[in-house]
Amino acid sequence: MASSILIKNEARLGLKMVAPAIGIIGLLVIYPILFNIYLSFFDVQLNGTKTFVGLDNYSDLLGNPRYYHSIGVSVIYLLGTVIGTTVLGLAAAVLMNQEFHFRNIARGLILLPYFAPVISVVFGWQFIFDPVNGIYNHVVVDVLHLTDTRENLIGNPDSALFVVILFDIWKHFPIAYLLLLAKLQSVPKDLYEAAAIDGQNAWGRFWHVTLPELKFVIATVVLLRIIWNLNRFEDVYLLAPNVETLPIFTYYQAFAGIVDQGGAAAISVIQLLVLVGLIWLYVRKVLKW
Amino acid sequence: MQHYKSLLVASTLLVNGLAVSSLTNAATVEFWTAQTQSDRLQTIELLASTFEALNDGVTVKVVAVDENEMATQMAAAVAAGTTPQLIEVNSEIIMSLGEEGIIDTKAHQDVVSSIGKSRFHKGALTTLTSPSDEYYGLPYHGWIQGIWYRKDWFDEKGLAAPNTWENIETAAKALTDKANNQYGILVGTKQDSYTEQVFTQLALSNNANEFDAKGNLIFNSPATLETIKYYKDLAQYNPPGPQNWRARDYYLQGKMAMFFYSTYIMDDLSLAEVAKGSLSSENFAELSGGTFDPELVKNTAFAPIISHKSAASYGTLSGLVALKTKDSADTEATKNFIEFMYDPASYITFLHMAPGGMNPMLKGIAEDPAYLDDSNGVFKLYGADKMKQIVSGFDNIRSFSVVQGKTFPASGAIFAKSVIPRMIYDVTIEGKDPQAALDDAEKEMKTIIAQ
Repeated sequence: MASSILIKNEARLGLKMVAPAIGIIGLLVIYPILFNIYLSFFDVQLNGTKTFVGLDNYSDLLGNPRYYHSIGVSVIYLLGTVIGTTVLGLAAAVLMNQEFHFRNIARGLILLPYFAPVISVVFGWQFIFDPVNGIYNHVVVDVLHLTDTRENLIGNPDSALFVVILFDIWKHFPIAYLLLLAKLQSVPKDLYEAAAIDGQNAWGRFWHVTLPELKFVIATVVLLRIIWNLNRFEDVYLLAPNVETLPIFTYYQAFAGIVDQGGAAAISVIQLLVLVGLIWLYVRKVLKW
Repeated sequence: MQHYKSLLVASTLLVNGLAVSSLTNAATVEFWTAQTQSDRLQTIELLASTFEALNDGVTVKVVAVDENEMATQMAAAVAAGTTPQLIEVNSEIIMSLGEEGIIDTKAHQDVVSSIGKSRFHKGALTTLTSPSDEYYGLPYHGWIQGIWYRKDWFDEKGLAAPNTWENIETAAKALTDKANNQYGILVGTKQDSYTEQVFTQLALSNNANEFDAKGNLIFNSPATLETIKYYKDLAQYNPPGPQNWRARDYYLQGKMAMFFYSTYIMDDLSLAEVAKGSLSSENFAELSGGTFDPELVKNTAFAPIISHKSAASYGTLSGLVALKTKDSADTEATKNFIEFMYDPASYITFLHMAPGGMNPMLKGIAEDPAYLDDSNGVFKLYGADKMKQIVSGFDNIRSFSVVQGKTFPASGAIFAKSVIPRMIYDVTIEGKDPQAALDDAEKEMKTIIAQ
């Protein structure tokens, strides 16, 4: 009897303790999502007047060929950047886990691209690749004479996507490196010694010891990168606004000029569903968490 | 210098005997300006402080907003209930905002009555008039666009001035030398407003339009298609990749033969002249004056009118827009501030931020001796007659949104959605078929009009 009262009291206390968190999440996450879903069925004027339009916003969107094109671009962008940053981050982490002189300085320097403000490095890249005055064309055309046509690598739609992917890998691999290095340092030395005794060479030790130990951190890195990059806007828009990933498409469609709030809401509802679906699939089927 | 200017503005106002209402209530005028450069902001801040000094209890808060972001920022502000009292932005955005029910047209009417309708350039005021004869904005300053070109290069090759389609294309081809990093022309190929401005002038010279006088969408026409194809031909003499107005720097560096630009460039060109003068003095013997060509002003000529099927001059203007506020004291202060901005002393101070680029919308200002005496000496360099000629263009400027004296605000909405720039980008950079791009653009325009 007494214990059940105790349990009840404890449960009540527990509820009280989580109530602020639930309140904040409800206000900042649940409410905007619900309001967003509500808005997606309306045509919204700037002065707040709403007209119910049913599924028009959705049918406009799904009937737009540019929407599907931007999904394709986003998939390539996601594959390129997620694989690129993870692999480069892993390589850098393994390298920086070795003993050598000035290791601490090197470890710090690797983080620089991640800390630099986006806008300043974007301008840097644009100056480098400027078709008329940039150093890239100067070196390739005037100094090395590799070709005699100047290319606008950032502007040209065929190469812009790859420049944007390269930029993202360069800018964001340090975060993958940081997370992986932290885990690497906690891998017990005797595991490697045991593997060496079993006759494994360096590659074998990496394959059979390092990778399994890192599995969950790598999975976390990949998951975070997918979430971040599916929504990544500023890097792409600032560097090459003609690379229409989903967020850029959304911007042009809904926010350029007079804001089409209903249309924008419809896009983000679909994007939310896709993101949730992707993550569910990834966590359940790939990671088997 | 700033203090001196401030004193000058203040004292001129007092001498003019301008009735300065001293409001007792505290009022705020949040003023969003599209002038984002820091030196221009300083001048606007100066005007604002002068107004504050003359009007007790009124605070003028100047906020710089990039022109391409203005519509988006406005939407966010209106949604958040933090609408500014006054904005300064181009006519296309004004017309598209006009349809959103947030503009205080009553305040505009009051200001026009107070200043006098006949003092405005007629064409300028018409551009901002709604179909139901309300003023969506008050014309404040404007520019004329045309082709600026290297007269010395043209003379050397015996080329005619770029004032017809044939002359432009011939010259662009003759003066392109990609192996030596030299380009014949600059037309906009990025998805931004510069592209639409260049395209509009060429389209108007080919009698292509968005709307007919009855308001029917007639954009998908053989004339438009022909203009797109011509535009694509010109774009092959562009610097590589998508370009916008920023590429004018290549002209200042002597790597480009001609470019579409507004009269704003007059200031830049003469600044080059000034820079050259100051750098070549004995004190800076080791400096060569950077990459500025000392002869650039002299060697630059302007072709404001392009002829094909008809002659087209194109320009656009920026206006002041008062927005609806809940507080009547704010509205009153805003109206006073607008009238203050039109007072010759403050008006000329504002226009002198970009001599030649910002041209007055009130008659008589261009002849004012104070106006013709700008501190950079731009007007002296170009001559008073040329300035008067440019300004007179505002009685009959052409654009897509005005057809036979009637305005079509939908054109502003189409502008704000960058439909035409995207069409041009698709054709010139992505290699899309012109007719297919035109069909898609027409479809988008129809969607926008239907809303």
